[in-house]
Amino acid sequence: MPKPYMGKILMVDLTSGTITEEAIADGVYEQYLSGMGLGAYVLYNRIPAGADPMGPDNILGFCSGLLTGSGSLFSGRWTLTGKSPLTGCWGDANCGGTFSPAIKRCGYDAIFFSGISDTPVYLYIKNGAAELRDATDLWGQDAIATEELLEARHGLKAGIAVIGPAGEKLSLIAGVCTDKGRIAARSGLGAVMGSKKLKAVVLDGVRRIAAADPAAMKRLSRHCNKWVGFDLPLTPGSVFARVGSFLRVTPVLFPQDGLLYTNILKKWGTGGMNQASIEMGDAPLKNWEGTNRDFPITKSRKINPDLILETEIVKYHCYSCPLGCGGTCTAKGMPGHTHKPEYESILALGGLCMNEDLDSIYYLNELLNRAGMDTISAGATAAFAIECYEKGLLTKEDTGALELKWGDTEATVALIKKMINREGIGDVLADGTKVAAAKIGRGAEAFTVHAGGQEPAMHDGRNDPGFNVHYSLEPTPGRHTLGAHLYYEMFQLWKRVKGLPKPKPLYTKSSKYKIDSDKAAMAAACSRFMSLANGAGMCMFGLFLGAKRIPTFDWLNAATGWTLSPEDYMTIGERIQTLKQAFNIKHGIKPKDNFISARAQGTVPQREGANKGRSVDVEKLARDYWELFGWDPATGKPKEETLRKLGIS
Amino acid sequence: MAYTITEKCNGCDACARVCPADAITGEKKKLHIISAARCIECGACGRICPHASVLNATGALCEMIKRSEWLKPVLIVKSCTACGICVDACPVGCLAMSDLPRKKGVDPYPWLQNAKACISCSFCSQDCPADALVMRKTANL
Repeated sequence: MPKPYMGKILMVDLTSGTITEEAIADGVYEQYLSGMGLGAYVLYNRIPAGADPMGPDNILGFCSGLLTGSGSLFSGRWTLTGKSPLTGCWGDANCGGTFSPAIKRCGYDAIFFSGISDTPVYLYIKNGAAELRDATDLWGQDAIATEELLEARHGLKAGIAVIGPAGEKLSLIAGVCTDKGRIAARSGLGAVMGSKKLKAVVLDGVRRIAAADPAAMKRLSRHCNKWVGFDLPLTPGSVFARVGSFLRVTPVLFPQDGLLYTNILKKWGTGGMNQASIEMGDAPLKNWEGTNRDFPITKSRKINPDLILETEIVKYHCYSCPLGCGGTCTAKGMPGHTHKPEYESILALGGLCMNEDLDSIYYLNELLNRAGMDTISAGATAAFAIECYEKGLLTKEDTGALELKWGDTEATVALIKKMINREGIGDVLADGTKVAAAKIGRGAEAFTVHAGGQEPAMHDGRNDPGFNVHYSLEPTPGRHTLGAHLYYEMFQLWKRVKGLPKPKPLYTKSSKYKIDSDKAAMAAACSRFMSLANGAGMCMFGLFLGAKRIPTFDWLNAATGWTLSPEDYMTIGERIQTLKQAFNIKHGIKPKDNFISARAQGTVPQREGANKGRSVDVEKLARDYWELFGWDPATGKPKEETLRKLGIS
Repeated sequence: MAYTITEKCNGCDACARVCPADAITGEKKKLHIISAARCIECGACGRICPHASVLNATGALCEMIKRSEWLKPVLIVKSCTACGICVDACPVGCLAMSDLPRKKGVDPYPWLQNAKACISCSFCSQDCPADALVMRKTANL
């Protein structure tokens, strides 16, 4: 029976230059799917305990999703895997664009790199022939320029992933870029690629990707497309701020239907919620110390989603996405086109630094995309530096005459440029807040906000406690695309998976903060489901449609010919999640050390604004969450019996 | 399964030149062979062979068609969701997403940027989840 996976991986040893193909048994896909699951399966067994993330023993994996190319929608995401130099934990980063099918079209489900090359190289695969080529001439070029040079050399059809100067300079907040502006940014895996002297991966293959039941795949995709095309009447973007203000003051809430969010994403992209997020307390401001009062509507209206829409020329769709939340834009003072900045970038470079200048956000977004540096971590580190300067821990001498002030656009731009080039103070900051605080010393750690070393995204766990749970408890700490209270409501998993709690039709806001068994069950369901989705290559925004409207489980069955139930698939998610946790334990990580910083937990609650008085007891929730996975509730270590039950060895 | 070449082949090399998967090898004027591992069953070799020497995956003889009469994809704009599956499915890269939106709406659309390169494999049309591409004789995508 035709399968949507290729059944093979490519192992590239950069030290010796040897390239070997390996067959992967069907059973592995049945246990872990492909994508992140396959990455975890390979890396858990092959990276020796305690390996240096920047050393030859670390393995960097480019993994395509199981459903990619099978005829399903929202399934074009690939996962970059490796041991993270930023956190020392399991590291993964997720990216859309067109690179995921490019891996499969070369006949592989994933490509893994070990060892370290003496000189810069890139991998080139053309119709089954793989070779390492010299990249000395590309080294030093920015990410987009490198892609253009490789396109000129190998044609427009090739899928290309590259690192920019940030990855080359081993910045621990560097990522891997594709499609001239998309980036697998998290976990600092761009630095791993830089440490291996691997500049790019160029994939030019034409293999067909099969499905067990193509007719069923098409039928299911039609059903999904119907919901993507379901247009709700939307207000102008400027009204969203008022909706956010209402959500801030209302004492009661109702479960949110993700159809509203997919409509917003379709029209504005992720930036559609900019102002609303600031108003409702979802977006952290002023290095997580500020509130909506520091960044009122008079300021936030300068980053209103309608203003962003005005700059958009055409929508950008990742592979197999009918929604198209991305966009190609023009921006003042910039030649050519630029990718539309995402919500995370706008808030990290905007609100978190108190910067209200939209043009500078476009400029910095492009600069960071070219450098191959994570906009979330870069913005968070800049905000941390501004606070250090304000508190006297950094002086004008340290910063090279830069006066760092909240909302000073020019200083923020200059600071981030220094970070990219690792000049002066930029060298101190280029590895994220945790490393920078250790270098600055004198109590600077108090002004950092990170989970296990990774800066969390622009969603405040004091507003949605689910975010703090996932920032703190995921094997990849600090990630925001794995679960939240809001995500659970939108995934609507209880409609397909037996035994999951259904949210009440109306509930008080304060009940979100009450730690009960439902909260852990919801968080664990999100973790399982997103681990599964990352194995399948699914996009979280598509999953917002709700489990009955986006047929994830049915697509998996139709593509593979399996006859598994949604509960069986959730067990696959659980297995992937447990394997990642086991990876961390193997590498000596203590999961409790990954809890998010006290400031973001609200240990000293805020005195005003949307999150006034709010705090989340992550420690208490951790016990229940770990217990649900069959991990030791005191330490988070997967129990022997759990590993046995899941077949992990 | 894959396409195969029969003993009738006179080694004109037309099939090897059109094959997008580099699956066909053979010296000029000698029998060519198709690598089953590389063949993607696009059928271009069968359509171009002037000596009726190519069998398709089911073993049936392929008929030569004049290249100017090969079917090409035509877009039904109202059905297209701009998901880009067609562009990725194209083995010769002759389809591309537009840099500008359609006349109505904001989404880009696939267009035949290099109609001459199209090998009429119909993968774009087969893979389109919205049935927005049909294979026709004219190319005005």
